[in-house]
Parts: sequence; structure tokens; C-alpha cells
Amino acid sequence: MAEISNYKVAASPHELDGADTRRIMVDVLIALLPCVVCGTLFYGLYALLLVVICTATCFISEQLFNLARRKPLTFDCSALVTGVILGLNLPPRAEWYIPVIGGVFAIVIVKMLFGGLGKNFANPAATARVFLLLAYSSVMAQYIGADISGNALGLPTDVVTAPTYLTAGSAALADPFLGVSGYGGYLLQMLLGYTGGSIGETCALAILAGGAYLCVRRVIDWRIPAVYILTAAVMVLACYQSASEILLQLLSGGLLFGAVFMATDYATSPKWRYNRILYAVGLGVLTVVIRRFGAYPEGTSLAILIMNLLVPVMDRYLLPVRFGQRTKKGKPMPHVVQWTALGLCGAMLLALAVAAPIVAVTEDRTFVKAGPIELQGTYASIESAYRNEDGSCRFEVKGIADLTEYNYQQPLRYTVTLDADGKFVTDVEPIEQSTMGYVAELSLFEGKSYEEIASLTELGTDAELSATRTNTALREMILECFAAYDYNVASYVTLGYDGAGDNITRIERRGDLYRFTVEGVADLTEYNYQQPLCYAVTLDAASGRIYAITTVTESTMGYTLDKQLFLGKTAEELAAMTEEGIQADITTGATVTNVAARGLFAQCFDALEEVAHG
Amino acid sequence: MAIFRKGVHPRAHKERTSGVPIARGPEPAEIWLPLKQHISAPAIPAVQAGERVLRGQLVARKADGVSANVYSPVAGTVKEIVGHITASGKKQEHIHIVNDFTDESVSLPPLSDPAGADVLARIEEAGIVGMGGAGFPTAVKLNVGGRADVLVVNGAECEPYITCDERIMLEYADEVLDGVRLCMLACGAGRAVIGIEKNKPAAIALFSQRAGEGIEVKPLRTRYPQGAEKQLIYGCTGRTVPEGGLPVDAGVVVVNVHTALAAYRAVREGTPCYERVMTVSGGAVQKPGNFWVKNGTPLRELASFCGADENCARIVSGGPMMGEAVFSLKVCTGKTSSSLLFLDEGECVSKAATVCIGCGRCVQACPMGLLPNFIEAALFAKDYAEAKRCGAASCIGCGCCSYVCPAKRFLAQSVRLAQKTIRERKI
Repeated sequence: MAEISNYKVAASPHELDGADTRRIMVDVLIALLPCVVCGTLFYGLYALLLVVICTATCFISEQLFNLARRKPLTFDCSALVTGVILGLNLPPRAEWYIPVIGGVFAIVIVKMLFGGLGKNFANPAATARVFLLLAYSSVMAQYIGADISGNALGLPTDVVTAPTYLTAGSAALADPFLGVSGYGGYLLQMLLGYTGGSIGETCALAILAGGAYLCVRRVIDWRIPAVYILTAAVMVLACYQSASEILLQLLSGGLLFGAVFMATDYATSPKWRYNRILYAVGLGVLTVVIRRFGAYPEGTSLAILIMNLLVPVMDRYLLPVRFGQRTKKGKPMPHVVQWTALGLCGAMLLALAVAAPIVAVTEDRTFVKAGPIELQGTYASIESAYRNEDGSCRFEVKGIADLTEYNYQQPLRYTVTLDADGKFVTDVEPIEQSTMGYVAELSLFEGKSYEEIASLTELGTDAELSATRTNTALREMILECFAAYDYNVASYVTLGYDGAGDNITRIERRGDLYRFTVEGVADLTEYNYQQPLCYAVTLDAASGRIYAITTVTESTMGYTLDKQLFLGKTAEELAAMTEEGIQADITTGATVTNVAARGLFAQCFDALEEVAHG
Repeated sequence: MAIFRKGVHPRAHKERTSGVPIARGPEPAEIWLPLKQHISAPAIPAVQAGERVLRGQLVARKADGVSANVYSPVAGTVKEIVGHITASGKKQEHIHIVNDFTDESVSLPPLSDPAGADVLARIEEAGIVGMGGAGFPTAVKLNVGGRADVLVVNGAECEPYITCDERIMLEYADEVLDGVRLCMLACGAGRAVIGIEKNKPAAIALFSQRAGEGIEVKPLRTRYPQGAEKQLIYGCTGRTVPEGGLPVDAGVVVVNVHTALAAYRAVREGTPCYERVMTVSGGAVQKPGNFWVKNGTPLRELASFCGADENCARIVSGGPMMGEAVFSLKVCTGKTSSSLLFLDEGECVSKAATVCIGCGRCVQACPMGLLPNFIEAALFAKDYAEAKRCGAASCIGCGCCSYVCPAKRFLAQSVRLAQKTIRERKI
């Protein structure tokens, strides 16, 4: 037997776990890979370039710092992790120097000056992001929409800024997305991350895949992301009073990315598991409070930064109870922190399980595509229309209060908001009206239904001529808003109708309302001209009156239909009109139009009899 | 089932020796018998240089207080009583006996139907100490004056590599169970719980089948340090030993299965404690296995007996988690030497310590709920009060913190040093 001689002595334990610092950092880099890939796919190669610049800056600045301090170079990959995480936190079209400044700040100021790996007081990436947000706020808010095909090589010079969910709500999202419309489409879009945001933080699936890998590899403590997300969900429910908002908020902004990759940073998160739970609760509360009540749309980085500063205090004063530890009286030591942490989690789970379904049932929230409405049809007074996130419609209208006696025409401009179903006026705001006190009596209209406004007769308020005229003009404008809603927003079901030989081309229905599209001709024989006419007329089957009229085609020379003559009229009243009665005061053309329209509308009433009652 | 939280999962490495039956170990030509094979005061030599001794003859008598008798495992001549190195590196008195290979023996008279006091007296006389590794004289431990109602038997064997307790349980099941009953008799406990880790299903099945009334077999989760005294008591009975207290404060006495076997041999066969089963294993051993090894056998004898080769990078006396690295093969075995490991390069990778990254794995792993990373920081700052506040005084030395540390920091050593300093300075 060969004599054994080259054995060495060491202190126990002699068996060591395989994990080492570099292996852990490489695991984090692997977990970040899906985010990098998705960021590159959605925002183009320039986004990847930013991440690479940031990573390289972090690595080089750490080595330069080491050289300057005459310390050995460090190859533990921690600088690469910081670099990639910070890179993924940048907007996709930031200028090239943004990652350079951010990387140097993260590594030199936040990490190395405080002693390097493991000694930093706050997460370098989160701190650098907050620093960039304050120093370059315009650049850091400049997000672009995701595009898997087109913007592979986009550069900062051709940025088309797109809003994010946190800045603009659902207006920032596409509807429908991949054929799924409404809420489901939003969720799908945010899960895939096909929306505006920082390079790496939009794609929830990629982040969750990375997080799952890290949890399985035991690199991060699953408690931090899990409790963070749970707390954020409860806080969203409490602060927004909306159950549908929970998932939208969780999936938007940097919450998931921060929860998985930034809040779990070793040096700046507590060491004991129950402290970690409390820390994550704090993160969730702060994030949602900043988002809801703060000046910034996004609160993840700030929340992480603030909680980071509390970690040393937590680590020092909230100690684990030792095995068999006794109080001074000899009783078993109560596990106060542990019970608090577990109790909080249990209470939040319970609150979420109980309150979320209740709120979801009572919540009346329609998810519509917010944004400008492209108006079809011609409206005399409506300048623009906008769909709000809650489904209500805002119209900008203008008109004139015609004070002929004074030889004065007072311009009027208002915004009129109708509720989501187009039944009520929820709000009327003046933009421009008389500065002499002859202002519209808004209370006449606000909160009133179509019928109430249509049947208003007493428009004179203070017996002042001007205000009465203003009110009258506004009433007309508001009725036109209802018509515009009816034609452009309301969802109708097309009915099958073949009224052979007449002018009706289409009949649609919603509830008691029937909408007829009629085509006809204003025959101006004297001018040897036939003006084609097309109107969408909505009849109310319940009252038998004309509900709304939208002009699709008519004269562009001003010889237009006098809608006020017809609105609210029944079939009998229509028939009883004399030609003189519908003669417009301006020119013969309008008279011809009015007469032709009367015939068309009469046909509609006949058809209504047929489809509604026969 | 009450399980302690935390702890670690080292690779078991038990497959090399767990299937090998216990064999006779080497018959050394010379032995150096330590006078201190237990905790507390060394025994006082009862023989002189030149005197002939027989196998099973008392060669050193227990000192006053906590101590234990020492018997000769061989027949031969006492050459001298001499200072000899031990595994911990200190020089201690050893009785140097030259084996004459006649194997003449004497033994104590077997007791057929002993009372509790008789068992206690015999265990004391036979020099039995805790054979799991702590080496506390068993007679002192069992003499609790009726304050314990449960006897916990340690068959957990949570250290990697070691399989001697498992082999004993499989091959000497009836003897161990009888020894357990004798120990119950001696300490007055009405109930015994044998805790066995679930990675020894054969032993659990065998003991469940053979265990009689009053003896319960408790399968324990496989997790290091399941066999540590406080964690074992918690796992077997759900009781928590108060910090700084003894098991008897929780109404429990703990013995190892090997100690129970030794009690059986001393009482029923009259054989005093002079040999034990040792696991010899590791990647640098040709013939690993479990062997009856006589106390005082130089490790060199074991190395050549089992064919340790030059791949050996580290020799460990005891388990890899808590055992001491051997610096010389002149060191001799004792009553508490449960194993000898010849680890090769791959099994004991030494890495340089890097900076603490603050991952908190040591905090998650510590079965006592201490904060090893903060204790280390406090130690470096010489702030022993802070180290104590972080729990340094309660360390059981299991080594979980060093095991899990990704930065390979010497946390267990730091905590031990802090603990030692706190005790010395009475902070």
C-alpha cells in the first residue's frame, strides 16, 4: 500500500453545498434571458444594444474601480446581473448615454463606494433607475409600443411615444388583441408584454418563467415575490375599489420584474424569512400607494429603494426566536414576528378571497377602447368625440346664440358627456360662452335623460333673452350628441328586412329603438341637379317618435335638413305638416330637402309598424 | 409529526457501506489507549509499565465526578503511560500496550435479572459513554432520579457517510432493544422512542416489528442535523429543551443505539466497553465497511486494513459535517470514534472564502435560529455582546451555516470562536 501523505487539515464541515457566488449570479443571468429575448423581439435590436451597453458599462466600471483602489479584479458576474437588470429597466429608445450614466451610477456610487458586493445599502439597479427617472425624466418616460415586425432597427431619433397602462389606462392597450376583445384581450396583451414599457418589464410570462427557475434553483426566496404580489393585489383592491383592476395593475409597469429580480436582491433584502415577508408587505403597500396617490405613475423602484433602507433596521431588531429560547420569566419565547407575518399573509389571502368576488360582482365596469371616436355622418355642431375608459362619451360641441335684435352672434362651445349607455347627460362643461352673464343653465341638462331634454319647453331662465337663446342652442347641441352616440357608439343588431321598392336600405334595433338607413333624392329640377340624400333615422317604438337623425349624405352647399323640425315628431304630426310648415327660411334647396326627408321618414314609420308590430 | 425547521440536505454517501455487514477490524500489534475517551475528567491509570493485562481488564479507573473507566481491548503488556497526540491536536496521557496476540480475556459477571440500580452500577462499571460522539458518561446521564419519563433513542444517524448505527440496528436489533429496556430501567422512564431517519426503511421496519410494549419507533424526516440532541427530542416527542438546559429539563434522556448495545453487552454478557463499530468510508478507500475496532487502535492500522490510497486529500475522524480533520495517522481511536473517512479531492473541495453576499442562507439553515452572518461580522468587530445577541452562545456546532454558504465563508468556525470567547469572558 502506498503511504498516504498528501492529506490536508481543515475545519469542519468537510462537506459543502455546490452553490457558489458565481453560480448564483449565472443562474440569475439565465433567468433574465427570457426577458432579454422578449424585449429584443418587441422593441428591436436597439433595445438589446442598450442592455449590452449597460452590462458592459457595469462590468468595466467595476473593474476600473478595482484598479483605482488597487484591489483584485472581480469576476463573480454580479456586475453583469446589475447591468442586465438596469438595462431591462430602461425605455427601449433611450439614448446610448443613458445606460452608461446609469451603469456607472449603479456600480460606482451605489455599490463600490459602499464596499462592493454584499455591502450596498440599496439595490443598485433600482437606485439607478430612480436616479435616471429624476435626472432624465423626459427620456425615462419615453416608451414606445411593442412591435414584433417593424421597428427592429429603430433609433431614438424616430421615437413614436406610446403611453403605458399606468400613464393612460386602457387607452394604451390595443383592442381587440389577437382576436380577444375587452378585458380578456388586455390581460392577454399584458401577459405577453406586447405593450409599451421598459425593455424587460412588460412580458409577464418571461418574468414568471425566470422567477420560477430561480425559485426551483433556490436562488431567490419565493416568499418575497409571492407576498409582494399578494399585498399589491389587496392594496389595489382597497385603493381602486375594483377587482378587475387587480390583474391589470399587477401585470403593468415594473411590479412583476421588481418583485422577482430587484426586491430579492441578496444584500438589500432581510435575511430571516419572516422579516422577508414583512419587507414584501411593505413593498406591496408602498408600490400601490405611490401608483395611486403619488406623483409618479410607477412606484416599484421607489418602493424597493425605500424598503431597502429599512432592511438593516429590520435585520437588527427583529431577530428569529432561537430554538428553546425563554423569556426572562422562563416561559417559552413568543414568536411575535413570525405570527405577525403569517397573520398578515392569512388576513390578506382571506380579504382577497372574500372581497375580490364581492367587488367583482358589484363592480359595474365596462372595458371599452378609450380614445377618439371617428365620427361617421355629418353633425352641425359636434367638433370631436372621445370615448372615455369607463365607456362614457365626451363630445366637444360648438354653436351660436343668435341675438339678431342686438345684431350679435355669441359663439358657444361646450363639452357634453353622455353615460356609457347613451341614456343620460352626465356632464356639461362650458368652454366658451357669454362673458356678460348670459350663460347656459347647466342644471337644466346635467343628469337628464334624452326624453327629459327633448321635452324641455321652459328654457327661459331669468327672463333674459340671451340665456334663453343659449339654452336653446345648447339643447340642440346636446340632442345632436345623442344622435351621434346613437349612430357611432351604440351597438345595434341588424334586422332582416326586404321592403322592396322603398328607400330603406337597412334596419337595426337596440331595445325599443329602431334605426333606419334611408336613401333618397332632393330633386332640384330648376338647377338640373339631383342631390342624393342619406339619413340614419332612429325611431322610438315605445313613444312612436323620431329619436335621432344623423346625416350621412346631403348637400354640402348649406342646403341641409332642418332636423329640429322633425325631432320628436310622431307619424301623425309628420303627416300633418304642410309644405309651408317645413319650408326653410334660407333657400329653396333646403325646403326640397326637408320635403324629401319627410317622405323618407314617413316610410320609416310605415316600416316600423311592420317590423315592430307586424 | 413535529419536525424542526431549517437544516440542510447534504448528499448521504451512505451507499458504500450501508449494505456491508459488520466485520472484525484490525488486530493491532500496539495500542495507545487514551485515558480520556469521554467528556470531563480523564481516568486514573490502574496499571503500571511492564504489567501484563488481559482483554477486558480494567486499566484506568474513573476519576471523581464525571468520568469513566477504561478497559484494555487486547491481552498484552503495558509498555508505558505516555503523552500521545489526539485528534483534537492536544497531547494527552495514553496507556501504551503491546499486543501479545494471546487474546486471553476476563469479563464481568453477567446479570440475569437486574434492578434499575444494578443496571446503573454496571453501566458505570463498564465505562460506557455516549457512543454517538459526545462521549458523556452514560451512567451520569441515566441517573436522573425519576425526572425523565421518556427515553429517546438516537438512531437518526444524520451525518453523511456514517452507517455504523444503521448496521447495528439491522444486525443487533434484539440486543439493542434489550439495551433500550435496560436503559429505561436505569433511568426510570416508562416509555422509549426510537427515532430513525426515513432513509433507513429496513431498520424502521425491523424495529417496528420487534419493538415491544413501551417502545415506539418514530420515523424522522431525513434532514441534517436530525440526530442533534435537541432536534431529535423535538422530532421524537415534540418537546423543546430550554436554551442552556439539559434534555432532562424537558423530561427526556437521550441515548444512542450503540450505547444501548453497549449497555446490553455490559449487563447481559459482562463485556465492558473496549471496542466499538466504526464506519470506514470515503472515496480514497479500497475496502470501505463497518468494523469492530478496538479502542486505542492507531488510525494507521485502520488505513492499511481498509486500503486507503494516496488519492486521499483529507482524513476525517467522525462525520463530514462535525468531524475533525486528522493531522496524523498516529492518532488512536476511542469510545466515541464513530467513523474514519478518507475523502478524495472531489469529496472535500476547499475553496477560498469570498465576500458575504448577504443571501441569508445561513440564517435559513441554522436549526437553532441564530444569525451566523451577523455573528461573524460581530466577531470581526470584536463586539461579543452583539454576537451573543445574535445567538452565538446557543450554537450546537452542526456546521449547517458553513455548508450552505455560497461564499464559502467559515461561518461555523467563527460562531464557535465567538461562543468560546463569550463563555471564557462570561459575557
